[in-house]
Amino acid sequence: MREILALLKPRLWSFKNGSYSRDAKNRKLKGLLFGTVGLLFWAGIFAIFYRVLVYFQGIEGFGDVLARKLMSMVLVTLFSLLIFSSIITSLTKLYLSKDLILVHSMPVSTAKIFLARWFESTIDSSWMVVVYMLPVFLSYGIVYKAGLFFYTMVGLSIIPLCLIASGISAVAVVLVAVILPAGRLRSFFIFLGFVLFLILLMAFRLMRPERLVNPDTFASLILYFKSLEAPGSPFLPTTWIFDGIQAALQGQVGSAVFDLILTWSFAVAAIFVITWISGATYFTGYSKAQTTAGRLFPARGRKKRERTYLLNHLSGAVRAFAVKEIKTFFRDQTQWPQIFLIIALIVIYLYNFSVLPLDKSPIKTVYLQNIFSFLNMGLATFVLTAVAARFVYPAVSMEGEAFWIVRSSPVRIRTLLWIKFCVYYAPLLILTEILIVVSNLLLHVTPFMMVLSVTTVFLMVPGIVSMGVGFGAAYPDFQSENPAQSVTSFGGLLFMILCAGFIATVIVLEAGPVYTVFMAGFRGGSLSTLQWMWLVVSFSLVLLLCILAVIVPMRWGERCLSRND
Amino acid sequence: MIELKNLTKRYGKTLAVNNLNLSVARGEIYGFIGPNGAGKTTTIRIMGGVLAPTEGLVTIDGINMADDPEGVKRRIGFIPDRPFIYEKLTGMEFMRFSADLYGVDERVFRDKAEELLKKFAIFNWADELIESYSHGMKQRLIISSALLHDPTVIIVDEPMVGLDPAAIKMVKNMFRELSRGGMTIFMSTHTLAVAEDICDRIGVIHRGALIATGTTGDLKRDAGVEEADLEEVFLILTEGQQI
Repeated sequence: MREILALLKPRLWSFKNGSYSRDAKNRKLKGLLFGTVGLLFWAGIFAIFYRVLVYFQGIEGFGDVLARKLMSMVLVTLFSLLIFSSIITSLTKLYLSKDLILVHSMPVSTAKIFLARWFESTIDSSWMVVVYMLPVFLSYGIVYKAGLFFYTMVGLSIIPLCLIASGISAVAVVLVAVILPAGRLRSFFIFLGFVLFLILLMAFRLMRPERLVNPDTFASLILYFKSLEAPGSPFLPTTWIFDGIQAALQGQVGSAVFDLILTWSFAVAAIFVITWISGATYFTGYSKAQTTAGRLFPARGRKKRERTYLLNHLSGAVRAFAVKEIKTFFRDQTQWPQIFLIIALIVIYLYNFSVLPLDKSPIKTVYLQNIFSFLNMGLATFVLTAVAARFVYPAVSMEGEAFWIVRSSPVRIRTLLWIKFCVYYAPLLILTEILIVVSNLLLHVTPFMMVLSVTTVFLMVPGIVSMGVGFGAAYPDFQSENPAQSVTSFGGLLFMILCAGFIATVIVLEAGPVYTVFMAGFRGGSLSTLQWMWLVVSFSLVLLLCILAVIVPMRWGERCLSRND
Repeated sequence: MIELKNLTKRYGKTLAVNNLNLSVARGEIYGFIGPNGAGKTTTIRIMGGVLAPTEGLVTIDGINMADDPEGVKRRIGFIPDRPFIYEKLTGMEFMRFSADLYGVDERVFRDKAEELLKKFAIFNWADELIESYSHGMKQRLIISSALLHDPTVIIVDEPMVGLDPAAIKMVKNMFRELSRGGMTIFMSTHTLAVAEDICDRIGVIHRGALIATGTTGDLKRDAGVEEADLEEVFLILTEGQQI
């Protein structure tokens, strides 16, 4: 135990020493921003669940069944999220962390090293999921007027759930590490995780939950509700926890305690088993993972090699960085699953538009179609912001410790940033325009709305890409083991907040004039001089805002990155 | 060829380089030695344009780094102490990347890159991803790429770290050969035998300031010893700082 605690101390001390670090003065501001945003999300989750549960209570007969089913779904989702998060975290902690060489050189047994890393991984992968699940249980407690016993049960049940999820993930990672070819671990698990996520996402969407609001399917809905009352599998930990919490909610102390003991005994037994398995196999897998990775696709003949010949007409430095950027992006296998994820999101996004029940709405279809089309500009650019947060924002940080090459080369920081801008601008523009044009075609919008949305998005994409590059340059993280995660940092959060502000401002500026033009066309009238002026001023402001969104972040990012020591 | 004037660098309240003045002539090999944390790497990085000084000037080949950083960097071959490079490129692609950055003529690139990679015994690995290279191989690749554009100045931080004895001997011979051809070499090192062996002059940096500079003989005089090797001279000059 002493050794395990000693292995955990560097992490605790690093956390404690954070206030002495170079960027300590920014920590308060960052803490405040993260705290506020986090609290808003927390409150939002609570408000939604509270509202839904109050609504369920008003449905006679089905209300409690629905509330129970909702909790069961929440627990299964929580468990799945914990497993997914634990796989990624335990993989990093057990096989990829930079300090592992030092740790394994110490006179401590493999099982103890494993336990220390696993414990750290469990905390890292669980704390956020647990924090954001608490408002859900709080809302149940308030709506069903539960006592202290319920809240104690929730607290005591979530801990073994985290331990079980993390244990299962760690065993899977440890066993696969022994079997898999060296160096392919990370790619495999990330790929596996995203494939599972995609299957779930697609399956959920293709079930067409919007049919639930259609009265025509009500007969089948009754059958569906009956199926809701079927209990979960008795072999799933989530079932024991669900039964325990439900019993606590109804004041059945004996039954609740029995389920709690069942859960804890399984968790403790699982820890014992994983320690035993890991003691026997962890070091073998770790040694194997130290071997360098072979190329997934071996090099081809020298003459056929240059696929980036299209970039040959560019000038030296521009070509050098453009080719490097593209090659390193596509050769990094951790990027691939995320590209598949984006493709799946596009399919789901467009599928949603194809199944909108506009004809069943009491509002006129033409009116509704164009409102959706207008709001779709905001939605598509929000999707773009999310994609940019994942790919564009970390672009500067991706230079990593090799950033000295840029600094010592005869290329200006400005040139580097504009190359990064250009590399991401073209594909993201195509992506966003595809979303806009196809969804507009599915909505059968007017030509005016089609031109407006295509043009607006065309003007906004450079601004969002520029903000991604600029903020990424202003808040680079060259030491990160996974730069893609830098978007969860202070700069990443700031980037997303300002992008949301930018999108909202453009939409608000255009909303009034567009409504006026649309209604004038709908009624067959013409615009007054004042309305024309409003139109010109609004669109000029949008244009100005889009230009500023390109120039200001790039300049700011350049200035900050040039000063970065 | 290289001139440092009143060079100062502060990291917050820490003074890393303190009013450093130094000049290195064309074709000279200048060794920069000092205890850990003395300011060697900071000075080297400022000279390579990787860091900006708090005060002072770096002039290389008559051009001020602050006025024309790109122009100066085009004349420099910079070799850092730790070989961090783009892991997802192959060795040859990294050479091409460097060639493009430094404007190496397309017609001579292939021959020159192959020649350098063969010289450093990594040609057989040229089409493999850098992530599969050892530390020493990465170091050799960086040295090869730094020489690709025929720089007039080589700035190198700990050149022998990670290299095997054969590569160390080859690098030493190559530095001598390049210096005879007029190339100026500024190197920081902890390997005092290497400094003594190939450097025309040596500077000792201590707590960010240059405390002695000259030939080994000059340093011996400064240290007040006649029969001593560079290690002993170094220990005397930086007395009280060694562990």
